[in-house]
Amino acid sequence: MSTEVEPGTAQTPGAARPLPDERLQEILHLLKLARHFDERMEALYRQGRLPGAFYSGRGQEGTHVGVAFALEPKDSLFPTHRDLTAQLTKGLDLNRVMAQYWGRIDGYLRGRDGNSHIGDWDGNRTFAVISHLPIAYPVACGAATAYQRAGDGRVAMAICGDGSTSNGRWHESLNWSAVHQLPVVWVVNNNQYAYSTPNPLEFHVPTIAERAVAYGMSGVRVDGGDVLEVYEAALAAVQRAREGGGPTLIESVSLRWRGHAGHDPASYMPAELLEQYMAEKDPVKNFEEWMLAEGVVTKEDIEAIAERIAADFEAGYEFAQASPFPEAGDVTKGLWAEDGYWDAEPGRGGGTGQ
Amino acid sequence: MAKTAQVAKGLDGAAAGHGAEPRGKRTDDGLATYLIAIAEGLWEEMERDERVYLLGEDIGVYGGAFKVTEGFVDHFGTQRVMDTPIAEETIVGVAVGSAMEGLRPVAEFQYADFMSSGFDEITTVLARYHYRTGVRLPVVLRAPSGGGVRASNFHSTNPEPWFAHAPGLKVVCPSSPTDAKGLIKSAVRDDNPVVYLEHKWLYRRFKEPVPEDPDFLVPIGKADVKREGTDLTIVTYGAMVYRALEAADNLAAKGASIEVVDLRSIVPMDEETVLESIAKTSRALVLYESHRFLGVGAEVAAMIAEKAFEHLDAPVERLAPPNTPVPFSPPLEDAYLPQVSDIEAAVERISAW
Repeated sequence: MSTEVEPGTAQTPGAARPLPDERLQEILHLLKLARHFDERMEALYRQGRLPGAFYSGRGQEGTHVGVAFALEPKDSLFPTHRDLTAQLTKGLDLNRVMAQYWGRIDGYLRGRDGNSHIGDWDGNRTFAVISHLPIAYPVACGAATAYQRAGDGRVAMAICGDGSTSNGRWHESLNWSAVHQLPVVWVVNNNQYAYSTPNPLEFHVPTIAERAVAYGMSGVRVDGGDVLEVYEAALAAVQRAREGGGPTLIESVSLRWRGHAGHDPASYMPAELLEQYMAEKDPVKNFEEWMLAEGVVTKEDIEAIAERIAADFEAGYEFAQASPFPEAGDVTKGLWAEDGYWDAEPGRGGGTGQ
Repeated sequence: MAKTAQVAKGLDGAAAGHGAEPRGKRTDDGLATYLIAIAEGLWEEMERDERVYLLGEDIGVYGGAFKVTEGFVDHFGTQRVMDTPIAEETIVGVAVGSAMEGLRPVAEFQYADFMSSGFDEITTVLARYHYRTGVRLPVVLRAPSGGGVRASNFHSTNPEPWFAHAPGLKVVCPSSPTDAKGLIKSAVRDDNPVVYLEHKWLYRRFKEPVPEDPDFLVPIGKADVKREGTDLTIVTYGAMVYRALEAADNLAAKGASIEVVDLRSIVPMDEETVLESIAKTSRALVLYESHRFLGVGAEVAAMIAEKAFEHLDAPVERLAPPNTPVPFSPPLEDAYLPQVSDIEAAVERISAW
């Protein structure tokens, strides 16, 4: 058993670029936004200025951006609490995300749920995260069933962690998706820790990716420290699904740099492992250096990106603080479709009744 | 109800589902069983709305464990009558995900007992999603529930309290063929998730004239007075309705006038019809097949005590199975389930106040 992964090769000097420069610059912006957001929100949490919980995705941004960047707006994403970055990549608005963290009415879920348990089905086709991972895997099978029947070329992508692969629903969903050749992409963000539990206590095969064979689908293992390698694998899987080629399993290996959530110092993680990953497999730093070396951006460009991100974050924070709380008297509203509470937000999906 | 004919006395043991016989047809004079009524309701809704589809284990060529969907796959095809792997969490998840994309799934569980194998997707995803997000999930979960057919521990459960305690799910438990048809059609047309608990003891036991109008509906959340009376109200639902009616017949011979209120829907519950009846009779027996402790009737009894205290001439009494699993051996199962004689004794106790 090993968490060693072959180093990514997509970002080696002179490698063919899979995307035009402006798209590569978008990726850099998303990676740096993710890192800035993560560091600032964790600081606010520790200062007691952010209520609830904060789940850091630091060190895994290459996975989160890389997979979601391969989707089109019409495709759906079934994310987790740790990959808010994937939802930002899909198009979520930072202001509304931050309003959700502070329990405000302008949050995507109107204060009905908090932090990264977020989603925007009607706008950006992202499922509102549920804690019981991989609880959204079966739901992704359902969305993919609808796409298959409609023959509309859409794809569902679901993300979970390494710990989720121990759960029955992970296996049920992989099996079901292969039986019906559903247009779905399964992503496992293998960050090596499920809360405090390391890979060897979660599974007894060398890699998660090789399990794909047993379900009758392709599996691929990529270096989460190389966002372009992740993206290329995800794009190939999405295209296969879109063309009727069925599901693919992607295992993207990284390390969770922080604890399970803001309260957890992660003292169970070996310091040298963390140091190694932070030094060698930082997906944000690695990509930024490659972009500079390739001449896709200048140092001035990077400074401008950083300034824009800092300003956007501060604006999001102010937006959240200025947004009203939900009305306490509305606590029982919105349980039933017919009570009208959500009708004020047009275009909510699902059934249209009679 | 007066026209309901008992056609299958002595079926105990044969109705558990194993080696099920064909579903059968309406009689020449238009009588239908509960089983036929559900099938007709599903068929009509599938004809009416192509977004409606069925999924479940062995529902296609085999026609389902109890033959509700016999013949459906030949007419509607395998996309709309989908045989699934034995994976209840994913059956529910697929229903949810396809509903999010505009389909209207009806998922069948072979037995209500097996809903526990899909519990997380039902209670954590399906029930809560609309409250959290405003996304509508028009999903129906059908399942054969209830005891009395010697089906033992894992084929006799009444899980309605589990789902009544998961806010966001409607829960219905029809008792008559007419209600079964009207409620399945309402469930399919509802934009909320509906847990539709069929009672397997009722499937083939009674026939009655069932409406053939394709727009005949029984509203969810509306109770029905199955027998009018003036001395005492029995509030019940599901198979227990028939035991209540039989007890009421027996007691009528002794001069007692018993009203039987069939809740039909557990969530939302029709408090108004129950309270109107109590205002008239001043005495209440709550009869139910889920466990006595924290069962459906516990809520009904509390509601009556809170809202109709000034009308009551006697304490509200509950009659329900003990807090044990459902046992197999006939004397044990008979001791577990409320019997007609138990109902009569309870009515006499309450009436003696």
